[in-house]
Amino acid sequence: MTASLYTNVSDDPLNIQEAYDFVSDPAHGAVDVFIGAVRNHHEGNPVTGITYDIHETLAVKEFQEIGFEAQNIWEGIKIYLAHFKGKLGVGGISVIIAVSSAHRAESFEACRYIIEELKKRAPVWKQEHYEHGNSEWLPGHSLRAQAERIEEQLLPKKKSGGCGNGACGCGGRK
Amino acid sequence: MNAITIHMKLFGAFRKFGDALNFTVPAGSTGAVVKKTLSSLLSGNEASLVFDSVLADDSAVLTDGHVFQADAKLCILPPVCGG
Repeated sequence: MTASLYTNVSDDPLNIQEAYDFVSDPAHGAVDVFIGAVRNHHEGNPVTGITYDIHETLAVKEFQEIGFEAQNIWEGIKIYLAHFKGKLGVGGISVIIAVSSAHRAESFEACRYIIEELKKRAPVWKQEHYEHGNSEWLPGHSLRAQAERIEEQLLPKKKSGGCGNGACGCGGRK
Repeated sequence: MNAITIHMKLFGAFRKFGDALNFTVPAGSTGAVVKKTLSSLLSGNEASLVFDSVLADDSAVLTDGHVFQADAKLCILPPVCGG
């Protein structure tokens, strides 16, 4: 059985052909590829490059979770997701997401889903470098909601657990 | 009360303070106490950014209610912006 999900963080230049080759499948008539690249401006400031900082272990774990979610929504798709770590100049490729599917709708939708979730959830940070020499870390999406969901998942377990005889105030729950 | 050592790896905007910081908190401290202690060691916007960030170890995000009984290797994850 061939793998249907590839995720990676790399400090080597990302390779579009590698992404296409991974998702290419004789049963799939559509391949959608999203490429994130460094642009030369941000809010009126001329940008010369971006440094990408990443918590590699957690990022790959999150990429896999996002990939599995997409494959649960759009069955049978193949996904390639790689993110660059380090410094890139203008035009450098920061992320490649390739999705293949039997028909085009699934690959378009899944590709969009994956990049939007990645931006909100993956532990990746961007430091922009400007023409006049200074640099700035960009604001982003707080992961506090993720932590709060974990807290909520833990709470019901604590609430439902009990000694079984009411001695702990559990009302007799086990 | 016993003190435990927190080795905190720094990412993103926190990198200006180095790759990591070591500090101590009382054993049994929660994530919220760890974040408050970390914030007191920082300055500028990053001191308040700690409270919009989350703690994690190498396998998962941790809640503010997580209790630390022993020395721990953690990281502080500021708001994310990949892609």
